[in-house]
Formats: sequence, structure tokens, C-alpha cells
Amino acid sequence: MTDALRFHWRLPQGGERAGASRALLASRPESALPDVDYQASFCRTAEDLGIESLLTDFGWSKPDSILLSAAIGLQCTRAKFIIAYRSGLICPTTFVQQLNTLSALIDGRFSLNVVAGHSPDEQRSYGDFLPHDERYARTEEFLAICNAFWHGDSPVNYEGRFYRLENGKVATPFISSDGAKGPELYIAGNSDQAMQMAITQGSCWMMMADTPAKIFAKSGPVLESRKTIGLRMSVFARPTREEAITAARAFAAERPAGFDSKSAESRFVTGGDTVGMRKTFELAESEWLTPWLWTGLVRTHGAPTLAIIGSYDDVAEALLEYKAAGVRQFIFSGWPKLDEMVRFGSEVIPRVREAEAAAA
Amino acid sequence: MNTEIATRPLRFHWSMSSAGQQQRAAKSRAAVTGVPDLDALTAFCRHAEECGIESLLTAFGFHRPDPLTLAAALAMRTSRIKFMVAVRSGVCSPTLFVQQVNTVAALSGGRICINVVAGHTPEEQRGYGDFLDHDERYERTDEFLTICRSFWRREPLINFEGSHYRLENGRLNLPFLDGERSSPEIFLGGNSAEAEQLAIKHADCWWRLPDKPEVLAAKSRALAASGTEMGLLMSICVRPTREEAIRDAYAMVADLGEPPRTAHREFRKRSDSVAFLSTYDLADRFDWLTPYMWTGAVASLGAPAVALVGSPEDVAEGILDLKHAGVSQFLFVGWPDLDQMTTFQRDVLPLVRELEIRDESSERKGGTA
Repeated sequence: MTDALRFHWRLPQGGERAGASRALLASRPESALPDVDYQASFCRTAEDLGIESLLTDFGWSKPDSILLSAAIGLQCTRAKFIIAYRSGLICPTTFVQQLNTLSALIDGRFSLNVVAGHSPDEQRSYGDFLPHDERYARTEEFLAICNAFWHGDSPVNYEGRFYRLENGKVATPFISSDGAKGPELYIAGNSDQAMQMAITQGSCWMMMADTPAKIFAKSGPVLESRKTIGLRMSVFARPTREEAITAARAFAAERPAGFDSKSAESRFVTGGDTVGMRKTFELAESEWLTPWLWTGLVRTHGAPTLAIIGSYDDVAEALLEYKAAGVRQFIFSGWPKLDEMVRFGSEVIPRVREAEAAAA
Repeated sequence: MNTEIATRPLRFHWSMSSAGQQQRAAKSRAAVTGVPDLDALTAFCRHAEECGIESLLTAFGFHRPDPLTLAAALAMRTSRIKFMVAVRSGVCSPTLFVQQVNTVAALSGGRICINVVAGHTPEEQRGYGDFLDHDERYERTDEFLTICRSFWRREPLINFEGSHYRLENGRLNLPFLDGERSSPEIFLGGNSAEAEQLAIKHADCWWRLPDKPEVLAAKSRALAASGTEMGLLMSICVRPTREEAIRDAYAMVADLGEPPRTAHREFRKRSDSVAFLSTYDLADRFDWLTPYMWTGAVASLGAPAVALVGSPEDVAEGILDLKHAGVSQFLFVGWPDLDQMTTFQRDVLPLVRELEIRDESSERKGGTA
């Protein structure tokens, strides 16, 4: 079943067990504290449910995603990590050295989700002053060098606009018992530059969700180049559609005392220069994009919360619609975090697998 | 000498980079495997914990695994040992570096300190995309540490504009967490005048390579006002008797044969490290720097191979001589590592502590304190 849909989940940060918006989390220092025991048990639950990998976020308000994956990866055996990272913060040689070291410690159980950066404000805090398009040009060079270390001949020589390397060597190879020579590379972002980079350097274009028709309309060049399409989104699956909608509305209505998520998120979007975040924010003009695609959380909780909502059957059907539109992978968030993943894994995934087997 | 530092008990650290290999530096750097053996390293760390070693140096270089990633993993498998993580400026944004160090601190309960090195061969630096010369590397390291320390002081928004780094509203959510400190202890290595100045400005302890005690004493007098400590990176070969220790040390060098000497001659040509080059020179001139400090292995094993060689009594004396010259911390490589850690803890350390107490009481009697 090589064509099977692949499901990933966002790993909750240590201080974040219940639902909370991005803006709220960033305002709480304790949210940055790793909680390795809880996070590792979350990963082991994911393993048992057939969730392939856990997304470890990158950002100034969080612990480092590579090192967190090392700590948690030692406490589980099958779960992989999707390590979110940005270019421009670290020299590609060191980056490859860190990742190859990690691969040797946890048998290569990770892929990379590379973002060119989503807010100039945050990038400058890391010492990166390039504008949006330049960041993509640099990320392209960054990944070309990383790929040369993983798939090319050593030593690596490179002379570009942003990077120059002379006889770059990393003695620690990428190690994985499945024989891969480097991590799977997701390129995140909805802009044309992101799409181009998925084609030239990546293995999957990871987009913010939209309707299957709109995703399909954008996917042509990526699919033609034999790369895959992935969606970063959320899900509310319940026994009935009514229960799912009730749960989603109740979650949206939760307001932490004294904190205005709505204005914080809209400040984040207007301050940012990402195409994906802004487009998704605009989509939220209408509450429903299809009978099962709900935007009700987007303006308070951010673009990744565009959600599939419905009964277990509804959600399975929606996933198969995406599959028909060319999508092969999903990174989901859900609330309550663990419960939603358990429901999804035990109720939705088996329905999808059944339908996939019947179609084969 | 700074009297406050001089009366503190000596602190001992060990190098971890050799775990699983008998004579790491005898191989040419290209031949050393970079694949970490987590079980062997874990066993090494636990042994060090049992031997009362305070921290283990995880070195940095293209031929090794990444030290921060290794520290994060090993922290999960150990409970007391600290990791002294080597860092070079110029390979990472200071914001990200602080984030990574703070992450290891949060994972380990603050069991991380950093060892800053400016880089030792232009050739290796270029493999990391770094084309600066020796002096510019120090200037950049200065800026790098200035920014890092602003983060560790928990300044709310960090702005910096230098010739190598620029930051606007730098911030991190995760602080450096440790019961006692709000920043990692900073060690800084290098024998050059630039390294010394940088250590005085930013570091808690200046790591340097050994020299004659009188040379070290002059250096430590110069450091005294700053409160920066002086530590030595060196090797150790302790045997029941002085004769056995010397015999083993010579035999080890003889066994290594010619290839490592050739490798080090090559390395010597390529390196622009003042510390490494001056130690090769020192070893050319003197076989013994003191009756207990031998340079005979430097040509085969490199600059960190200036060694304390002798019986437990000899080595304890040798260590105290260095303490009197102003040295307050040691980072050892053992010949061989695991055995020497055990021997050090069982046979040498008690003597050192005894001698320290004797020093202290004689000082009190003398009324100099």
C-alpha cells in the first residue's frame, strides 16, 4: 500500500496540554519548558495509533527542535519527528552535523520541515535581515548544500550569493536502518517560491490547507515532478457531525482571562510576510469552505487551525477527497490534544485504510 | 594571584571525545570515525560520575559528532555529570546558540557549561563557510559572547549592531534553568594574547595549555584582578611507581610509531592556533617542564598531550605546584582514559585534597590570610 495516506501530528510543547493559541503560548515562559515524560508518552501513543511522525515546532518561544527531538527520540522506538527549522540561523555544515548526529542516536527517525521564515520580526531577532524573496533564495542555497552533504560527494564545495564553503566535510554520516542517506525534506509555505523549492530541493510541498479543488489546482508542477503534497491543518472528529461542530465551537469560545487571542493573532499575521498565513486569514471570511472545512479558529488561533470537522465517516471521506486531489500527507493538530489524536487514530485511520484497500 | 581563587579546592574535568578509543589523537583527524556509540558514551559518563569528575568536554570538529546534540542525548541517560560543550563562533546565530544551550539546560537540570574556541585551522573553518583570519575570528567571538551574555542576563529585548552580528529585538522564551546559575559557566580556550583578553572579558575560566609553572604564575598574576580563573588542558599518566609511569608513557609513544608523528607535522603546518603551535615549540625545547610534567608525547598526540607522569604522590605534588602557580581547574585526557579516571579518584584526588588542607592550615598559621 505504497500510495497510502500518511498521517503526522503536531507534538504539544511542554507547557501546553490543553488548547491554547500561538499568541497566548508565546506570552508564557513556562510554555517553552520541555516536558519530556509527557511528550515521550504522547509519541508512544502516536506510534501505537499509526501516526507516523510528530512535528516539533521551531520558534523563539520554544525549546530547540533538534535537541528536543534527541531527548524525546531516545524514549520511543518507532515514532519519527518532523523537525521544523529555518535557514539563515546556522551554517549548513553545522546543521548537517547536528542532524547526522541525531540520526545516529535515533536511527534516522526524523524528517525536516523547512520554512524560509514567517515573520521579519522574528528573523531579525535571530540576526536575519533579508526580505521574503531573498530568504527563499538563501534557503534554496542552504538546502542545496545540505543535499550535497547527504547525497553528493565529499568534500562539499559551494560558492553562492549567501554561502561559500571550501572542502566542507562532516564525518558523521546520516544513519538510518531503512538505508536513507538523508532526511525526507518537507518545504513549508504557500508561495510560488516555496513550491519551486519543493520541486528543486524537497520531497514534499507542505501547504496550509484549502479546499481539495483549490489544492489540486496549485499542485500540478509538484506532482509532475514526482514530489508529494502535504497539508498542515487541524481536525475535529466525533461520532456525529453535530458533536464535532459542538466541540469545535466550544473550543473556539474558550477565552483565557485577560488575553485577546484575536488581536494578537491578527497582529502576527499583519506583521508577518508569509503568503500562506495571510491567505488563510483571508479565507476565514466565510465560516465554511466546504460542508466539512471550517475556518472558525483561523483568526484567533492561526492558519494551521483550518479544520476538517465531522463524524468519523465524514472525516475519512474528506481525507479521501484530498487524496483524490493529489494530497498524500497531513500534519494535524487537534483539541484536546491527546484525545483528538487517539480518536483520529482509532476511528478515522482504520476507515481510511479500509477504503484504500477496497480501492486497490 | 587572586587569593579567593587560590584557596578554593581544585576542580577536575575530563575529556569525553576519546570515549571508546584508546589513543584518539594518534589518528589523523580524517580517520577518526564520527559515529557516536551512545552506549559506550553513556558508560563513560556514568564512570566519570562515579569518579567524581565534574564535567566532560564534548569537543567540536568536523570529524566528531555534534557536541550539543550529544549532550542533549547523554543528559537523558545520566544524572550528575555536566557537559562542557565546545562551541565556535561563526557557525550559528548567537540567538539560536543560546536557545540550544538553554534547551540542554532545561533537559538536564542545568548540567551544561560551554567551552569557547575560536577555531584552530583555517582549512577546517572554511569547511564551515568561515573565511575570517585568526584575529578577526577573535573579534567575532567577542561579539558572539557579548550577545550570548545579554540573553543570559535576561535582558528583555536585545539589540546589537557590530561588524559581524546584527540583532533586532532579540528574545527567547526559555531561560537558562539551573538551581544556582542563570547562565552557563563559560570556559574559553587559547594561548594567544587575544584569547587571554577575551577570557578576561567574558569567561569564568581561561583554558590554556601547560607551560612551566613560572610562566603560568606570571599569567595568573595578570589575570588576578579580573577574577577569571586559569585552567589547564593536559594529559595524565599515573602508575603505582614513577618508574612504571615513565616506562608506560614512553612505551605508549613508541607503540604509536611514525604515522601519528607525520599526521601532527602536517597539522602543525596547517594550524594557526597559537596554543597548539606554542606547545609543539615547547615540546621541541624541553622534554620535562617540571619533574612531573612531560612533553614527550606531544609530537605524536598533539598539544593536549603535555602530561603529568608519575606515582600518585608525584602527580598530586605536580598538581599542587600548578595550583601554586595559579591554576584552579584541570581538564584531563587519561592514558588510558577509563583506568586513569579510576586511579585519579582512588589514588590521586585524596592526596590532592590532603595537600590542599595542609596548604590552608599552614597559611592560617602563617597569618597571611
